Amino acid sequence: MKIEQLSDGIFEVIVDDKKILVTHNLCPGHSVYGERLIVVDGVEYRQWDPNRSKLSAMVLKGFDIPIEYDSHVLYLGAASGTTVSHISDILTDGLIYAVEFSSRTMRDLIMLCEQRPNVIPIFADANKPRSYAHIVEKVDVIFQDVAQPNQAEIAALNSKYFLEDEGHLMLSIKSRSIDAVSNPKKVFKEEVKKLEGAFGIEFEILQRKELDPFHEDHLGVLARLFVDENLKQQNSFKS
Amino acid sequence: MKIVAWFGRLTISENGKVEECNLLAKDPELLAAHMLLAAGSEDLPPYGLNLRELAIDCGYVELEEDYDVLLRDVCIRAAKRQISMNDADDKRIIQAVEAMDDIDKAANELSERLTEWYGVHFPELDLTGESMARFVVNFGSRENVPENHDMYEKSSTSMGSKLSPLEEDLLRNFATSLCGIYDTRKYLEQYIISNMDIVAPNLTNIAGAPLGARLISLAGGLEKLAFFPSSTVQVIGANNALFKHLKSRAPSPKHGVIFNHPLIKGAPWWQRGKIARALASKISLAVRMDVYRGKFDPSIKEKLERKVESIRKSYPKPPKKFSTKITPPGPRKARNRSSKRV
Repeated sequence: MKIEQLSDGIFEVIVDDKKILVTHNLCPGHSVYGERLIVVDGVEYRQWDPNRSKLSAMVLKGFDIPIEYDSHVLYLGAASGTTVSHISDILTDGLIYAVEFSSRTMRDLIMLCEQRPNVIPIFADANKPRSYAHIVEKVDVIFQDVAQPNQAEIAALNSKYFLEDEGHLMLSIKSRSIDAVSNPKKVFKEEVKKLEGAFGIEFEILQRKELDPFHEDHLGVLARLFVDENLKQQNSFKS
Repeated sequence: MKIVAWFGRLTISENGKVEECNLLAKDPELLAAHMLLAAGSEDLPPYGLNLRELAIDCGYVELEEDYDVLLRDVCIRAAKRQISMNDADDKRIIQAVEAMDDIDKAANELSERLTEWYGVHFPELDLTGESMARFVVNFGSRENVPENHDMYEKSSTSMGSKLSPLEEDLLRNFATSLCGIYDTRKYLEQYIISNMDIVAPNLTNIAGAPLGARLISLAGGLEKLAFFPSSTVQVIGANNALFKHLKSRAPSPKHGVIFNHPLIKGAPWWQRGKIARALASKISLAVRMDVYRGKFDPSIKEKLERKVESIRKSYPKPPKKFSTKITPPGPRKARNRSSKRV
């Protein structure tokens, strides 16, 4: 079997003439949500289904994934931990803070956390980053998959608190949860515009692509926190 | 500046150095309790502080790995505590309502099967649903029906085929489980009725226990229901009709699940929309009373009854039907644009 590395910790295996996205399994022998385990050269990998995970779809759509082996990641909207488990696979020397606000899915997430030493569960509302500001440190990447009408605001607020200078923000925008009726393209445009500076924090949009056919009416966005160099110099001068 | 972090309270100087620190013992249970308490504190850290650096600066942990391990342990414990606290009464009612839906679905399917199967043996039996299941449990084969029973004549002259003992056993068993399901449904109903009075007395007074419970279930919780505007309460459960209305020129739905309320169900069609609106507004009021005050207030129901009475008096006769097409609301602008393009 041929295996090729696409980005840190993310691989592509060719099985039966089909390309399959996989991550290196952090706890071998365990399948988290019933995904296929594939062994290549004695190393176990877990299949990463783009139809279930927006991040996986983003990889296949050609995004440059900013997550590295030793990144610290804040994941908003962790749900049962499907995608979280794969990021945990990637972060062999990193850490992921998984924020979720539903007690039903938190139950599954905690069970996942107990298996994986690099996942930290936080039961909190992503709308109120201040309520977990005493727990989360500065992170390199924020991944957001919350499907809320005020998605952009949530992303901006959390970035203000927790994103490192020039850190990356990845988000999947679900147009239907923002406005179920109007045209998705229009919704995407407005949301991206909001990110570019409506909440007192600026992002530089690096990549944006719709996630079809894996997820309908979803837009994947990769952005970098924009830091004003002049302002930064002033601040360092002060201290 | 004073801040609270998960590992203790710190005082930080302007240039980000730790001046004073009041650290907690490294006991995960204690730290978890502190973590939950601190979430409501006023000294939560502002933007741009790096907790990890601070923890190492003040000597709470020596290595970064220690920080990770301890924080993870504490967070898991804290999240577990939160989950066990999160189990509220309205969540149980939601489970009960959903269980009832599941049971209805299952009972329907099973009773249909029983009708089909037992019908081969005794087609003249005109019982359905629960009474049929009870009949099969009691008698099994139709030959066992006693002479003084209403069905005796039909059973003795039936055109159905004979039932083998094995089949009789099977069918009896099947009917017994079906009866068990009907019993469970009754228990569930009782549970909902008795619990709704405790969880939401005002809502139960206005809407009745089954409808109130269904509203809570659809909203996803009592508090969420209290947050809904009453226009949402009015159409909740009529999702398809509502979205059809918003997307195209279909008329707006008058009522969702609140249609099952006797006030609306029993009203003539031209009053239903008006009564639905009045009822929805009073339901909203009642729910908010339940969530925020927790006191029983019978005056809401009196006001509702007065309002409904005045609607009945003002509109005693059906209006004339529109001969021309009604122009209902909807995204008209978008329509115009698209028609221009054509």
